Amino acid sequence: MHPLSDDHPSVPSVRLPRLRIERRAIVWWMLRALLRWGLLLAALVVAAVLWEPVRVWLAAPIAGVSAILLAKLLIEPWWRYAVHRWEITEHATYASNGWLVREWRVAPSSRIQTVDAVRGPLEQLLGLSTLRVTTASSYGSIDINGLDRTTAEEAATRLAVVAELSEGDAT
Amino acid sequence: MSTQRSPGPTPAADGEWRRLSVRVIWVDLVQSVVSLLPAVVAIAVFQVEVSFGALWPLIAVAAWGVIGAIVDAVRWLFTSYRVSESDIERRTGVFVRRRRSVRRDRIRSVDTSAKLRHRLAGLRVVAIGAGQQTSAGEAAFLLDALTRTDAERLRRELIREGAAAQGAAVQGAAVQGAAVQGAAVQGAAVQRAAVQLTAAERDLADSGRGDESGPAAAASVPPRGSQARGSADTEVFATLRPWWVVYNLFSIWAYLMAAGLLWGAFWLASSFGMNLLDVATSLADWDELGPLGTIVIALVFAGFVGAVGMGVNFLVSYWRFELARVRSSDGSFLRTRRGLLSTREVNRDEARMRGLTISEPLLWRWMGMADTNVITTGLGIWDLNEPTAILPRGPKSVAREVGARVLGVPSPLEVDLPRHPRAALRRRLWWATATAGVVVALVALPVATGAAPVWVLWAALGVWPVCLAAAVVAYRALGHAIVGDYLIVRGGLMSRATSALRRDAVSTIAVRQSILQRRLGLSTVAAMTAAGWSAYEARDVAAPDAVSFAARAAPGLIDEFVDPEPASAAA
Repeated sequence: MHPLSDDHPSVPSVRLPRLRIERRAIVWWMLRALLRWGLLLAALVVAAVLWEPVRVWLAAPIAGVSAILLAKLLIEPWWRYAVHRWEITEHATYASNGWLVREWRVAPSSRIQTVDAVRGPLEQLLGLSTLRVTTASSYGSIDINGLDRTTAEEAATRLAVVAELSEGDAT
Repeated sequence: MSTQRSPGPTPAADGEWRRLSVRVIWVDLVQSVVSLLPAVVAIAVFQVEVSFGALWPLIAVAAWGVIGAIVDAVRWLFTSYRVSESDIERRTGVFVRRRRSVRRDRIRSVDTSAKLRHRLAGLRVVAIGAGQQTSAGEAAFLLDALTRTDAERLRRELIREGAAAQGAAVQGAAVQGAAVQGAAVQGAAVQRAAVQLTAAERDLADSGRGDESGPAAAASVPPRGSQARGSADTEVFATLRPWWVVYNLFSIWAYLMAAGLLWGAFWLASSFGMNLLDVATSLADWDELGPLGTIVIALVFAGFVGAVGMGVNFLVSYWRFELARVRSSDGSFLRTRRGLLSTREVNRDEARMRGLTISEPLLWRWMGMADTNVITTGLGIWDLNEPTAILPRGPKSVAREVGARVLGVPSPLEVDLPRHPRAALRRRLWWATATAGVVVALVALPVATGAAPVWVLWAALGVWPVCLAAAVVAYRALGHAIVGDYLIVRGGLMSRATSALRRDAVSTIAVRQSILQRRLGLSTVAAMTAAGWSAYEARDVAAPDAVSFAARAAPGLIDEFVDPEPASAAA
């Protein structure tokens, strides 16, 4: 059942993070795909309709963008919903994400530098929030998408308290 | 604030605004005069016609020099800095006033450097690095320039280096022969050191808290056999071997340097009425050689000029290079000193060091060429002056030896790293094939329609074996291990980098798997840290080993998430 080591049950493996994200996140990913790739596709189609001479050259891009849009609409959100999980313990933040490329990350609470609950316009519409936990490393941040607004804020407050207790400059 | 009054030139009590050295102005004046000289010489000695058309390069040089000097003088007028107990502050700017303050406990490095003009005037540029984002690409704080004694004193104040650096300070004072000023400086240093020591409440074991004479003896510049003490606390790891110049002749930058040198020579000569193009044309019968011969000769000649330029540049900038570990009462520093005309000294706090990287460029691996960089927080990796490089480009044997002395014995960089699984090679071969396939597909249509000649297709097909060879090289570079307190990762195609990173510096662990990696049973383990490149990856580890490697790379971090049932139970 584990996403990363199901072929090798006989070696140490990590368990999944305990908590799942909101189901609404699927809608969020779909809307996001529509906004990005849907608009691009619309622009290409409009260009192809209005501008006769380039129509030949636009056929391949339109086909490609359509395929990407379909994958992003019909496959990615469900796949991501199955993969994305999170958990915050006393000592660490643990999250898994991705679809084609999956990843799990663990950051110790003692190294946390900032904790933000970020809400973009689409997320506000759906009452969702992204919890962003950064460490001193510029690649070390953990983004947990698709949390309920209040859940994310509670988690952020809790983490901020934990992080403040740790000493040192967290590098 | 009570600090509005004009800052005095001599340093005084804590919190006083201080100015940069007034000698900056003199340097500016000299620079103006020197930049006017070529034009004067051209007119007076070579009788060049006084017109804009003939003299414009020299006029440009003069304008650049004079305007630069004026701007610099204005900057001097409007810049001041002060050191308080908790911060160092600087204000600068004419139209846009900028004020920057850095907390002293965040200061991670204090570099001094000097261009030739600074050295002649006894000045030093002080760059203070804090833990700012490395991507910003600038030192947190630049003071351009202080007198040598002031710079040395400021450095000591900020990083509280003990007796080890005193030798240099004594020398500086002696050279300048300013006994009175020196004494005043020392007095101020003593005072500040005392404040600091009581404020910090540490390092007092041997110097007597609260007793003025105790800190004075430890932190100021009394004769007290400081040279002998200095040598006892300084451990020299490497000095320049002139033959290292061989490693620095060949680089892609050689051609750029050649272009610059030849261009400069051409313009300089044309200002004095010589046309180097005519000279070059008369040297050989280029028509007979044909275009190919001409190009080959030009490339060889430019390469030669560039290599000589690179060699001279290397020797000038690394002359009297020395890498040493300097111990003091509160920690040790890795210090490099180098430079013939411009000198540069960088002190890297070892408490901030997280490891070491040795990278070997692919094209020169046969001659054992290696770059050595420390992994440390607070030093920019994109800085052109490469503050993280503790050795110039040189032989790998020296890099390894220095690595062993910096990291401790047994050196984590010496271990043999086991090969990664064959699947990692297969993954690279697939990617190589895909890359070659894309190239072929891109040229296929133009060739099929006759828009491009057929040999383009063969050339595209020729990309495939090159990609496959690159895949094998990249696979053979892979390696990872845990040795003592360090995790070791090795990888990279064009430059094979072996990095040893302290395990306690790992701030985030990430394990990644793409679809292809899942099929092949591979994972990439990334250890994130605040230092150096921020992420150090062991690519394509066998998936079963990934979790145990991750667990050992960051001790205790992921233990609570590892499946509770023992590994053997499922087997």
